[in-house]
Amino acid sequence: MGGPAGSLEELQCLTGHTDRVWQVSWSPSGDMLASCGGDRTVRIWRRDPGAQPERWLCAAILDDTHTRTIRSACWSPCGRYLATASFDRTTAVWQHAGGVWEVVAMLEGHESEVKEVAWNPNGGLLATCSRDKSVWLWEVQPGQEYEVVDVKHGHSQDVKTVRWHPQGEVLVSASYDDSIKLWVEEDDEWVCAQTLAGPGVGHTSTVWEVAFDAAGQRMVSCSDDCTLRVWSCRKEAGQQRWHLLSTLSGYHDRTIFSVDWSRQGLIASGCADNAIRIFGEGGAGDDSSAAEPSGSGVGSFAMLCKREQAHPLDINCVRWHPTDPGLLASAGDDCCIKLWRWRPDAC
Amino acid sequence: MAELINPSPVVHERKATRRRRTPSHPDNAEEREPIDSLEVFEHIRDITDPEHPYTLEQLNVVTEEQVEVDDAAGTVKVQFTPTVEHCSMATLIGLCIRVKLLRALPPRFKADILLSPGSHASEAAVNKQLSDKERVAAALENPNLTQARLPAACCCTGAHAAACLSAGMEDWAASLQH
Repeated sequence: MGGPAGSLEELQCLTGHTDRVWQVSWSPSGDMLASCGGDRTVRIWRRDPGAQPERWLCAAILDDTHTRTIRSACWSPCGRYLATASFDRTTAVWQHAGGVWEVVAMLEGHESEVKEVAWNPNGGLLATCSRDKSVWLWEVQPGQEYEVVDVKHGHSQDVKTVRWHPQGEVLVSASYDDSIKLWVEEDDEWVCAQTLAGPGVGHTSTVWEVAFDAAGQRMVSCSDDCTLRVWSCRKEAGQQRWHLLSTLSGYHDRTIFSVDWSRQGLIASGCADNAIRIFGEGGAGDDSSAAEPSGSGVGSFAMLCKREQAHPLDINCVRWHPTDPGLLASAGDDCCIKLWRWRPDAC
Repeated sequence: MAELINPSPVVHERKATRRRRTPSHPDNAEEREPIDSLEVFEHIRDITDPEHPYTLEQLNVVTEEQVEVDDAAGTVKVQFTPTVEHCSMATLIGLCIRVKLLRALPPRFKADILLSPGSHASEAAVNKQLSDKERVAAALENPNLTQARLPAACCCTGAHAAACLSAGMEDWAASLQH
């Protein structure tokens, strides 16, 4: 029962960015990694084909487009396009073919910095969010045209992140207003189906990121309140309703900027205390858990590893590789990206 | 400029601080001197208040006692007290302190800039604005201000303060506040 403890082995440190790296994103097949940040560029990293052991190289630098920090980069599900969201209030869509990258669309409309861009699982919709408190939904039209289908104003403060449910029918947004909102489509309009907030339930400070598990039945959120919260979904009166399953507090000392859930069920967190932590399900000892009474430890999470000084400065992003289990990328204020291998201890 | 928030501030003397120099040992000439609260205070004491030609020290906005440093842990905590409880300049003052320390301290230091408890009507809101790294980064990236001007704006004498304000620092703080 429960995952074994383990450690993170540092595989490589990717240098090149000249300012903090805000986000990294694996291509859907895992053959490329995109990184972006304060130096206003995107770097595309690929495996060096001959190298043993595995090494990654910078294959392309995308510059001369955004005029301010690039905060987020997201691949389309087909892997042919990369969307980049910037503090310059625009979102660019890049296409690559034969190693050549070019901008095929510029999405404008947000009134202040765009914080994140996310493609839905079928590639037909793009979601963006901003300090202007809104979430925009864009439909992909033929010929790389993007049409706004909806603008949502539910949050009362900056929207920090948008993320799609793996089945694509729910969009999640999280905000400086401490809440998480779930949006669904109803009659050609997107509505807020649920808000996760409030005493004893919601985070008590800015929510920075949200990640779903592989099945889409659970969601984990990370916050400036130094907790991770795990949420699970139940059908009630014909509707999917999310409930707080578990709060992981006492593990992080500073703002948790990033969280990601691997296909194997490991949760990685990136924190402003320079550490990466790995959590697994089924162990002993999280603070307050509404764990299902099955006795199997389901819904109960334990910290399996704390890698201190993973970066010498804040960690802004952690992302599990889509197909290579145990491969993790992290990005930091140190201008570096690091690749890690999760090594479970022998049982 | 619009009406001053605090037209008659109480002005204090600049404190005479003398650093006790510990005799350096020939063995550890390489050893770096730990950063202490006096050193951090020295970085911020002469920042000019946005409204008056006085420093934050002279207006008792910052004091050495309200600077806490843990060199080994790499943390700094500065509490500051605006002269007026409803001061709308609180965010701007806090941002100036943060910028000054960003430029003056080694990057490994984590700085927490907070209002002194009870010193401001919107204490929680201002503290939250000052601690949001993304908002601060976006505010500092304001294309109206070049990097070279920012530190000058924070440390300038009274004569320049008004000019710097008109150069867009208010927008700078405003984009942090909203």
